[in-house]
Amino acid sequence: MIYLDNGATSYPKPAPVRHAVLDAMLRCANPGRGGYGAAMEAARRVYDCREAASQLFDCDPEQVVLTSNCTHGLNIAIRTLVKPGSRVVVSGFEHNAVTRPLYALGAKITVAGHRLFDQENTLEEFEAALRAGAKAAIFTHVSNVFGYILPVEELGRLCKKYAVPFVVDAAQSAGAMDISLRQLGADFIAMPGHKGLLGPQGTGLLLCAGVPEPLLYGGTGSDSVRQDMPQQLPERAEAGTVNVPGIAGLTAGLRYVHSMGAKAIGLREQKQARAAAQGLKSLGIRVFSGAHQAGTVSFLPAMDCEELAQRLAQRGIAVRAGLHCAPLAHKSAGTLGTGTVRISFGHRCDGSQTQRFLREMAALS
Amino acid sequence: MRFYFITFRSVTLAQRGERTIRRGGVSCNLQRTPRWMEERGCGYCLRLRPQDAARAVELLRADGIQFSKVFAVNEAGEAEALPL
Repeated sequence: MIYLDNGATSYPKPAPVRHAVLDAMLRCANPGRGGYGAAMEAARRVYDCREAASQLFDCDPEQVVLTSNCTHGLNIAIRTLVKPGSRVVVSGFEHNAVTRPLYALGAKITVAGHRLFDQENTLEEFEAALRAGAKAAIFTHVSNVFGYILPVEELGRLCKKYAVPFVVDAAQSAGAMDISLRQLGADFIAMPGHKGLLGPQGTGLLLCAGVPEPLLYGGTGSDSVRQDMPQQLPERAEAGTVNVPGIAGLTAGLRYVHSMGAKAIGLREQKQARAAAQGLKSLGIRVFSGAHQAGTVSFLPAMDCEELAQRLAQRGIAVRAGLHCAPLAHKSAGTLGTGTVRISFGHRCDGSQTQRFLREMAALS
Repeated sequence: MRFYFITFRSVTLAQRGERTIRRGGVSCNLQRTPRWMEERGCGYCLRLRPQDAARAVELLRADGIQFSKVFAVNEAGEAEALPL
């Protein structure tokens, strides 16, 4: 199979990730609770993950909250910063993981920046929206549908200028771009463990510059006399037993990314994305591509998107069609009615996969 | 004194402290905090030899790692919380 759905999850996972998961299941008990060997070993592996993440994302280990996925982290961040009726600025390319929690809270949402691959437009519209006042800003680093790389450093500076706390959704960029919590100055950065970081599904990270409000309440293995949640990170945001095998796998993924270099991985993916976009255009297909594009490309075929994806699947090509859980992004691009077909490259992509995909597309066009 | 304990408010901070102290060339052991030492309930601490305690505290402070208390335990097993 030619796997071009890394925007959904990376697949297959590297061997060190698989081995780490199994090893943790063999050797680890409950972390942060007991003092015997298997419990301490579990605690060690959990801390290893925080330390590996802190090295990759330039923060302290205790600022790394272990979550179930990126959505989980975004919910913690959003519920910390946004209250019912709060005015919040978001980009025109947000995933439902951002917009649904905001709708659930009854936030007043201002959408800033609708033009694909147009960073100037994004910055202009954000500045206007932030100037009008906002309780928080939330923006994706890379659109999961179109691969548009938003100017997050500049957006962060604008948020600082107008004293608006901000959250970055790094679902598509973690593991493919350099990210520094310290340099970006974000209040929170949420990311999945199972996409670019190559960990198992059911893992994620929330990098916290400040102390979040708990989303879940329960045991933490510390401060047990108190009935309120501990004040300190990361325990405040980690009630209940964490996913030790998943976390061990994520640690292996983080180390794998660290050894390859996130930026190098991202450039490799971008190279294939550009080649694929060019090839699709030469077939007369409408392709959404431009400057500031990561390793993800959406296109609009002549036939129904889902039908094309099905036909590609029958030919051994895995892509994703539809709205990609991001109707706002499709609304911004004018594809809400049709959806798109998305191809998203991963850390092991190469030209042979792209050429095979283009050959199958040519056969189906 | 037989040994010293440095207590922390969370296992994560205790683990960060453990690695910082070891990287500084000082040996220590991470363990559960004895219940009588931890008024808030469960916690973790680092156990050190008497001659290593002062250096360990220096290393923690240099790395900005917050700890709760330092206890000295004598040969009779009697403990004393030390002023910080």
